[in-house]
Formats: sequence, structure tokens, C-alpha cells
Amino acid sequence: MSVQPGSSLWLLRHELRLFWFSLSSGKAGAPRRPAWRVLGGGLLVWLALHAGVFALLHAIGPTGGMPPRQFVIAVSALLLSTFLFMLSSALKRSVETLFDRGDMDLLLSSPLPSRSIFTVKLAGMAFGVAALYLFFLAPFAHVGLLLGQLRWLALYPVLFALALLAASLAMLLTLALVRVLGARRTRVVAQVVGALAGALLYLLSQAGNLMAQSGGVAATASARVMASLQSVDPGSLLFLPARAALGDGAAVAMIAALGLLAGLLTVRWTHRFFVRGLQQAAGNARVVRRAGPVRYRFDRGLLQLVMVKEWRLVWRDPHLVSQILLQLLYLLPICFVVFRDNQLQMTVVGGGLTMLCGSLSASLAWIILLGEDAPDLLQSSPARALTVRMAKLGAAVIPVGALVALPLLWLILRAPLAGVLAALTMLGATVSAALVNAWTGRPATRGEFRNRGQRGVATRLLELCSVLAWSALAWLLQRAAAGAPATLAFAAGLGAAAAIALGILPLAWLLRRRVR
Amino acid sequence: MPDTPALALTGLSKHFGRPAVDGLDLTVRRGEFYALLGPNGAGKTTTLRMVAGLLAPDAGRIAVLGIDLALEPIAAKRRIAYLPDDPMLYGKLKPYEYLEFVAGLWGIESQAAEPRARELLAWLDLDKHAHELTEGFSRGMKQKLALAGALIHAPELLILDEPLTGLDAGAARQVKDLLLTHVQQGGTVILTTHILEVAERLAGRIGIIQHGRLIAEGTLDELRALSDKAPGATLEDLFLRLTGPA
Repeated sequence: MSVQPGSSLWLLRHELRLFWFSLSSGKAGAPRRPAWRVLGGGLLVWLALHAGVFALLHAIGPTGGMPPRQFVIAVSALLLSTFLFMLSSALKRSVETLFDRGDMDLLLSSPLPSRSIFTVKLAGMAFGVAALYLFFLAPFAHVGLLLGQLRWLALYPVLFALALLAASLAMLLTLALVRVLGARRTRVVAQVVGALAGALLYLLSQAGNLMAQSGGVAATASARVMASLQSVDPGSLLFLPARAALGDGAAVAMIAALGLLAGLLTVRWTHRFFVRGLQQAAGNARVVRRAGPVRYRFDRGLLQLVMVKEWRLVWRDPHLVSQILLQLLYLLPICFVVFRDNQLQMTVVGGGLTMLCGSLSASLAWIILLGEDAPDLLQSSPARALTVRMAKLGAAVIPVGALVALPLLWLILRAPLAGVLAALTMLGATVSAALVNAWTGRPATRGEFRNRGQRGVATRLLELCSVLAWSALAWLLQRAAAGAPATLAFAAGLGAAAAIALGILPLAWLLRRRVR
Repeated sequence: MPDTPALALTGLSKHFGRPAVDGLDLTVRRGEFYALLGPNGAGKTTTLRMVAGLLAPDAGRIAVLGIDLALEPIAAKRRIAYLPDDPMLYGKLKPYEYLEFVAGLWGIESQAAEPRARELLAWLDLDKHAHELTEGFSRGMKQKLALAGALIHAPELLILDEPLTGLDAGAARQVKDLLLTHVQQGGTVILTTHILEVAERLAGRIGIIQHGRLIAEGTLDELRALSDKAPGATLEDLFLRLTGPA
């Protein structure tokens, strides 16, 4: 198909081509298309999903009319969480579009109208946001078509409309932040808002669960919400997305119109400010920053020197710091446990703090050991590589120790045995996660931190297994210290957790020899 | 041993699918300003990266001031400095902090390193930017700071890959003056450049490399004689004649 060069369609084709190339291995000399193994594997999973959905829909059979209210409420909740995840992902993509730029300099310096550029970028964002959900839900539409249950076809327009709405909202929010806060702060704030949006339902549910267990207010509040929803008219706008997803034609038309309208209005109103936002973001990279008084000491030893340098680099990068700390968002519910009824829940706290140590240590080790900005400088210097590496390991694990020192001390004072056990598992998780990264990780730039799992799948898997195993071990040891009955199952669990936690490091060592 | 060359490469080879450096023999004397020229992809950067210890050669020997780089890498690295075309800096450090780090890597005593850092930053007009993070520096300022880092331990052999790329006239003059001073004080400089006038004006000897091999070497007059060019021929004429299609 021939399209007019410079048109939105032409640009969209270019973006799709780049997206296709981005799925390749990225190695020099490798073909630009994705590996056939990856494509074939993905296709097999997709076909398996279709088969599963076929069995499900065949068993349910055709249903007429609107499903029961409880089902509509459940679908509404599912769509709300889907939308929040989409918004979170769209915020991440809008920040990337503005700050990571890619080909934006080339596009902006070309005579293409800013409206075309913005339209295509927004469409690309919406497509990227919808892709994951389409992968899992599109089989319902396809199988529904095959079985004559046409209502499932509504999933396509609903998901695209929600994705377009999320992309528009995310772009508007990011541009508003640029206008109000400036380009520099926007990156961090948009990222925090994105993570909060993604974790909102989880955090609320965890807080509710924990408070409900102690007879708190949240149980009553949840019951009230459910009761209010039961009394809401099914034709209410509140259930519009759910009705659309379940195949109500009028609702589908309204949701699709809403998504399109959001996209069109966003393009119409903000395409010029998008260009200004890009220009501000570009200028931000060259802003002269005075970072307090000049403090330097030429009499530091190599170990101390490397550690100070690493801490300076991390501390002065708020974008990176926020990325590290956001990973800990999902551990917040521990706080609810700790302060619940003023009773110390050692099992949960021990496991939670161990998980915190492992996660933090893994992130810092990746940044400090693998994300070295000037590897050639270190390699061309006469400094011993082992000394530099040890200093970097120290720089990764010492802040973790400093962060958990106070809570740990408090635990030890309250319950000495449990506190000492927690200290041991925390130490194990911290050192293990750092060493897994040190031994099996591949060098990268710090900007790749957010997507580090894609570059080193084995490292990420080992790191996750290590953190989870040490956390499980901590939880089981705390239960044993609290006098849990020594059943065979308990002993087996304890043994398995210990074996995995301690076995990860030798495995990482073996993989290290293969990787390097 | 004053007769020992600053750099001696013997049969140096490196392959990346095809030969990048192919049995290169090269000797640079102490106190010499040597320019290594060649078309794109000739193997200049690969050669310098091997000398700096960043790439392991497939074959051949590298001796830095008489020290075998493969046998005593740390002793050899102590006496050299390498400045790539893309400065090796940390954006979140300030100039003094960067020099403090580099001095530490080379194990320089603080009594020597601190005044040297002050002197270099003042010399390169960077002292007034001491409070700023280097991520906000222009290309020229970054290049000058990287050069200060390379000179902080007063290396006997200074290796520079395209040090003048992207510098304005003022910054380029400062860098050239600093390099000439380094040679006058007894140091050795090896640089690659595509700006042939720089090589013509600064270098005592010039080596021309193509397809990973040294195809010509000597002073400007010696190169003129080699290429049968008239006495007034510029280095550009000679270079194009020597590296052009036969």
C-alpha cells in the first residue's frame, strides 16, 4: 500500500516498523526481525489461550440479556483495575516519549506538522498500552465469533477505547506537570503518580484486609460500598464500561465514542504544547545545576573513594532514587501490620524486612555494579578490578543495612531471638541479591534500570527466587521461634526454603562462568 | 632506560570477523609527539584501545615504556593515560570530585593530586565551574575535564583518540598548548585525528595506517619523499595519495 510521505499514516507505518525491529535481539549483526523461536513460542501460547477460551465458552453456552448484578459489579472492578494499570503504563510511556526522545529530534526538525507527530505518538502509546490486554482477552472475541457469541467482539473496541482514554489522560497529566512543575521535576512526579495508580487498588485492598482483621473500620466501609453498589441501577453510567465489555451495543458505542473523543480533543488542544514540552525536556538536559558546596578530599583510599563516588551518583539522581523507592511501594502493607493494635507481628515483619533488604540490595547492586557510566576509565586505570568490585558491593549493601538498622534494633530489643533470626535472614537476602547481580548481570546503562529484567532474564529470575526464598525462610523461622508446632510439613517447608535460599548463590556462580 | 621506546607494538592483531588490526609493528620514541592517521575503519581506535588495556589482542606484543602490557598490566597502566573521543565522565559529579576519583584510581598522593587538580582546572578555565555537575557541561568542557583527568597523574605516555573533535577554536588551542607542554616536559603523546592540519603542525612523526597495517611513517618531509610529492605538498595531499585507490 502506498501512502503519502509525511502523512500521519506514513509516520504510523514507520513507527510500526521500528516497533517490529525493537522486538529483535538487538545484538549487532543479528537480523532486525524477532527470532522465530520467540514468535513461534508466543503464537503457541496464544493458540493455547484460544483453546482454553473455546472450552470455557462452549461450556457456558450462549447467554442472553444482561448477566446478574454481582457479575456486572465484578466485571466493573476488573475493568477499573485494568484501566488503572493502563494509566500507570501510559504515564511511563508518556514520560519516555518526552524525555528519552529516541527519534523526536529528527521528527521535530522535519517539516512534519506537530499534529501528525503527536497523533502518531499518542496512537502508538495507546496501542502499546492495549497490546498486553489484547493478547489475553482477544481470544474471547475470536472464539466468540466462531461460536456465534458475537457479544465478545465488544472486547476489541472497549479495550482500545480504555487504552486511548488512558493514553490521553496520561499525556495530558504529563504535559500539565511540565507546565506547572517544569520538565525536571515532571519526570519523577509522573513516575510516582504512575506507580501509585498501578498499586492503588492493591494498597487499598491490603489496608482494608489488614484493618478488617483487627475489627477496624475498613470492613464496615467495604460492606457499605458493596451495599451501595447493589442498590445502583444497572443502567447507571457507573456500570457503562462493564455493560460495554459484556456486549451491550449502546454501551460499546458510548465507550468507543468517549475514547475517540478523548484522543481527538487531546491532539487538538495539546499538540503545540507537546512540542513545547519536548523542547523544555531537551533543554533540561543542559541546565547548569549547582549541587551545593564543593566537597572533596584527595586523601581517601580506593575503597572509600569508590563507595563515596557511587553514593554521590545515586543520591544526585532523583529519577533513579524514585525508581528504587517505588519498588518498595508494594511492601507498604507491612507498616499496617506493624502498627496494628500495637502488637508486634514478628512473622510478617521478619519476612517483610527480609524482602525489603533483598529488593533494595538487588536494585542498588544492579545500578552500582552493572550501570557503570565510565567502565573504560576503570578498566584503563591501574586500580585492581577486585578492589573496585568489592568497594562497589559495599556501596550497594551498606545503605540497605543503614536503612533497616533502626527497625532491626527495635525488633531485637522487643524479642531478642526473633530479632537475631530476622537479622540473619536480612543479611542473607541482602548479600545474596547483590552477589547474584554481581556474578550473572550484564553491564548496561543506568537508564535501562527500569527495564533491567528484559536485558537479563536469568539474573532477574535468580534475584527474585533469592528474595522470595529468603523471605519465606524468615517467615518460617519466625513462626518456629514463636512456638509453631513442628509438623512434618512445616519442617519440609523450612528445609525447602533454606535449600533454595542457600542454593541460589552456587547456581549464580555456575552461571557466571557461562555468561562471562 | 632512556633508550626504551615509549611504545612498541610487535605483530599486533585483532579480528572482529574481519581483521581490524593486522600484524601491526609500531614504535614511538620517548618525548615524541606522534600522530596516527588513517581513514575510517583503518584500525586506529582498536589499536589505541588495545594499548590502553581495554581490548585484548589476538596476537602480538605491546610494550609500554619497556613493560609488557600482558605480563604487568598494572605497572604499565600506571604510566599511561587514555582519552577516548567520547569523554569518560560521570554526569552527577563535579569537576574536583571527578579529579579526586581519577587521582584515587591511579593512587596519587593527596599532597600531589590536590594542587595538580587546581592547576589543571585553572589552566583549562574550568575552575569557575567547580560547583556545577558535569552533565550540564558543553562538549568542549567535558573534553577538557577528561583531559585534566588524564593528566592528573602526569602520565609518561598520553594516548588520545580524536581529542579535538567538537571543540571550538579557543578550547582546541588550550588542548593543543597543554599537549605541547606535556611533550616539552618530557612526556610522550600519541594521538589520532582527522584534522590533518593538527597532525601537520604538532606531530614530530606521523604514522598512516590502513586496513590495520602501517603503510607509511616518518616526518612530514619523509612522507613527501615516500609519496613522490612536491616539497610543498600538504599532509592532506600526501594522505590522500597514500590511502587512496591505487
